[in-house]
Amino acid sequence: MDATVPERRVRISRIAGRYLIFDIEDVVYIRRHHGICAVLTGTMPQNPTQNLFLGLPVELHSEEAKLLVDKGVGYIADELTDHLSRLSIMDGNLRKAYLQHIKQQRRNAQQAFEEEKAKIQAKHQAKRKAAAKPNPTVTTNPEEASAIAESGPSLFDPSMSPNPAKETRPKETLPPSITPTTSAHLLPIPSNPVSTAVDPSSSSYPLYKYLNSRGYYTTPGLRFGGDYSVYPGDPFRYHAHHMANSYGWDEEIPMLDLVMSGRLGTAVKKSFLFGAEKPGKEVGGAAKEEGGHGEVRVFCIEWAGM
Amino acid sequence: MASPDHITALSKVVLNNLEYQHDWTQVKTHEQPNLPRPLIYGLPPKRLYVHPDEQVDVIKAEKERGKPIQQEPEVEWVLPLHLSEKWSPAQFAALFDAIEAVPPGVAREEALHLDGTDARWRLWRGPKRGKRILLATVQDDSTVTYYWIHDGLVKPRQN
Repeated sequence: MDATVPERRVRISRIAGRYLIFDIEDVVYIRRHHGICAVLTGTMPQNPTQNLFLGLPVELHSEEAKLLVDKGVGYIADELTDHLSRLSIMDGNLRKAYLQHIKQQRRNAQQAFEEEKAKIQAKHQAKRKAAAKPNPTVTTNPEEASAIAESGPSLFDPSMSPNPAKETRPKETLPPSITPTTSAHLLPIPSNPVSTAVDPSSSSYPLYKYLNSRGYYTTPGLRFGGDYSVYPGDPFRYHAHHMANSYGWDEEIPMLDLVMSGRLGTAVKKSFLFGAEKPGKEVGGAAKEEGGHGEVRVFCIEWAGM
Repeated sequence: MASPDHITALSKVVLNNLEYQHDWTQVKTHEQPNLPRPLIYGLPPKRLYVHPDEQVDVIKAEKERGKPIQQEPEVEWVLPLHLSEKWSPAQFAALFDAIEAVPPGVAREEALHLDGTDARWRLWRGPKRGKRILLATVQDDSTVTYYWIHDGLVKPRQN
């Protein structure tokens, strides 16, 4: 979108037909420089029924994935075959480097735990001093509890008394074991990754591309009753301007649909936008199959107030 | 699609509705060989559509002048439709390509006012005016609903 876009190749993992991004840097990058918000889908392992405040991975629509690939800023990795093929060619050096990386992560984790522990201790000590009768309780905050649980052996360390104020530093323990959240370091990114093709399942790609190229952000449109909700900038900053639907160039739209959508859009202070791609002059038949090259026409419908 | 008789009747319903229910004046039909059916144009009793950016320009101009600007109504296009019809994006595109933004007869007259430095807001009535048509959808019980259709990406009036 602007001239100073940093060079980056976004890895889009295709898993079971879904397009996912696991790297937070990539997520920030496509949002900031390519106007793609996509949808956060990850839950916490402890809370698989979570449906709010979701995290990584981010799931892309197929048209978003296709746009990134077409722009050359992303590539699609078919994770099933990719993992198998690259794990099988792994040599000793790579293995060593990976183990080293895991160790470093464990040390980092331990450092974080210790800092956290020191903070809690300091807090409790301050409380004890303040209160006449000290009665500190064991931390019941789930986050802290899980942090302690994950620190492994130290949980059963006798030095860890229920009274943290009295607690001395646990004896030299092994760094906590960790479960890597991504396999990025296990499978170093090839310098020139080859993208597999995006399934041409989305007929709304031309409209999506049209909106994106004009700086509009889109989110799934269910909440306003369309294919997309269209924002004039980042949805953090703006309300949606349009609810958008994509149609075929010669697809006949019942008048009632237009009236209904226009009414609905006006009711939520938006206009109803619909668009279609004009089929281009066929040059060897390739242009038609690909989509996104022809002229896109869009129309906006609002209630006239009379 | 539909017989010419049907179109004539439809136009008449819309024309009468505009004239007698909504108090439009100078309502006329407009025929053109590349139009799928005759369009209607006319003058509503009060301003029907103000683009949000025009509103900004008007407010700026009002601030400069220190007095409110009278919003004269504009002549608008109307497309009579029946609820049972189906239109494709291709048809709407062809329709917009066939018309001028400003209906016939008024363009010259409005152009005369395009003078002075504070006339930025006036441009919205002439060269800056986007193509828009009032969709007049008729149902058999003679209900007529009016919806704007704009050519291109046009932001909503309220947001």
